[in-house]
Amino acid sequence: MTDGDIKMVTAIVRPDKLGDVKQALAEVGAPSLTVTNVSGRGSQPAKKGQWRGEEYVVDLHQKVKIECVVSEIPAEDVVDAIAEAANTGEPGDGKIFVLPVDDAVQVRTGDSGPEAV
Amino acid sequence: MFGALDIALQMDPTAVSNSVNFVWVLVVCFLIFFMQPGFALLEAGQVRAKNVGNVLMKNMTDWTLGVIVFFLLGQGISNLAGQLTTSGVAVDLGAAFSYMMAPAAASPSWINWFFGAVFAMTAATIVSGAVAGRMKYSAYVFVAAAMTAVIYPVMPGFAWGGSGLLSGAGYLGDALDVGYLDFAGATIVHMCGGMAGLVGAKMVGPRSGRFDSNGDSQPIPGHSMLLAVLGTLFLAFGWYGFNVGTQATVLSGSGAFQGAALGRVVLNTTLGMGGGAVAAMVVSNAWQGKPDPLWAANGLLAGLVAVTGAVPHVTWWGGLILGVIAGALVLPTYRWVVDSLKIDDVCGVFAVHGSAGAIGTILIPVFAYDAGGTWILGDPWGFLGVDQLLMQVLGVAVVGTWTVVMTIVVFKVADVLFGLRVSEEEEETGLDQSEHGISVYPEFTAGSSRERPGVSADGGTTGGAQDD
Repeated sequence: MTDGDIKMVTAIVRPDKLGDVKQALAEVGAPSLTVTNVSGRGSQPAKKGQWRGEEYVVDLHQKVKIECVVSEIPAEDVVDAIAEAANTGEPGDGKIFVLPVDDAVQVRTGDSGPEAV
Repeated sequence: MFGALDIALQMDPTAVSNSVNFVWVLVVCFLIFFMQPGFALLEAGQVRAKNVGNVLMKNMTDWTLGVIVFFLLGQGISNLAGQLTTSGVAVDLGAAFSYMMAPAAASPSWINWFFGAVFAMTAATIVSGAVAGRMKYSAYVFVAAAMTAVIYPVMPGFAWGGSGLLSGAGYLGDALDVGYLDFAGATIVHMCGGMAGLVGAKMVGPRSGRFDSNGDSQPIPGHSMLLAVLGTLFLAFGWYGFNVGTQATVLSGSGAFQGAALGRVVLNTTLGMGGGAVAAMVVSNAWQGKPDPLWAANGLLAGLVAVTGAVPHVTWWGGLILGVIAGALVLPTYRWVVDSLKIDDVCGVFAVHGSAGAIGTILIPVFAYDAGGTWILGDPWGFLGVDQLLMQVLGVAVVGTWTVVMTIVVFKVADVLFGLRVSEEEEETGLDQSEHGISVYPEFTAGSSRERPGVSADGGTTGGAQDD
């Protein structure tokens, strides 16, 4: 049991690692998540695209953003699970951020605070 | 059973052969009509998502407005062009427009008109691919009407139907004692469309951002390779109608099946398309390091264009060689248009339809099938002579000159009447919004609109009404 803190773990990972990350999150007991398609730039080198032989630079890479809000399960466990599942060792594996959450409300029941998560 | 067969055999064989032949012609016309969705997809795939609706609108205009204009004016002007340039033929306005009269019971004259119409609309629709992304719709409507009323119709009037400047009976053909060979319109249809597109693209000017301040080309990738390649394959399907259908005699008047002639046309069409695509794949691989599907698709079409004038006239290996040459040249020709001429020909219509048609048609006498010639690889070959070669060059020059001069005139008039280009802001917003007020992909192009509320993914409006 934690002291009632709510944390949001935001992870930006390779789209093809989403399946592994979902599996890992289920295994640590934090299966609820929100996924968004995003594009962004980090340490992954730019790709060259071409159209009719004319090259252009693509430096925004396709990623997925996973948002996972936890209270009972320690955020560190969630971070570790994502980091392990999404790792390939190559530049472009992504980043994970942990943010504090002021409050949460479950829409169906009206519960708020850690109960809602 | 036998009684019915006897009755059939007692029928006039011409009635049977006419029925078979004109049913075949109607079927191939429907195939050629199917090139319209091919062009629509090919061009739509090569423009950005914000201009797709405009390209589709232009393609529909070519066909729908085009058939009306071609019936009311185009076919008659075509006939007049033939009369004017054939020695010993009087100019007769009534005869030129007599195709409008109701035909007698067994006359195929309206079927013949329709057969001409599907070719005319093919030439017209090529232009939209070159001027995509910045030309004003109103000006394009004017150009499409001029294309189907005058620019294209004069070409078949010059070369086809046994009369006209380039035919054996015309002034030029008479002088050289040979007629111009362009079977299904490699130059008359495709080069005409390709040259008109090139001139149009030059006169409208490049899309903004296509060339940087140094004049170097910058890529503007199309939004869907899938649509472009599917459109190419639709076109190839329709092309069988275009080429094999021009071999319109399936049964001769005495009832003999014309299998060898049909077979040569379909074989050369197929080998030309194969040679064009494979050659373009090889060249794009050498040029860019990887085989490129868009170049392969363009090469496939260039191979088809190159053999379109030649299919009944050349040996099978001649058809293959013509396809390979055209396919190999499509990438370097496109680069020359962009890098040297600085013309923004969006879909490469000059490389695909223009130059390929000219080369394939000029080389017909070199690879000619000649029943009494030398047998090479199972097909008798013979050179058709210097006069024929000269006639081919002259024919290409006539088609090219007419098309270029007339296109300049028509675009100038369109510029005065409507203005050729949309404004810079409209181009930035996209022609779908600025010219037609629509969005082809509302979910992900709505953001390009400045004034209209975008449509969100669930169909509701955003940025508009707020909650009560």
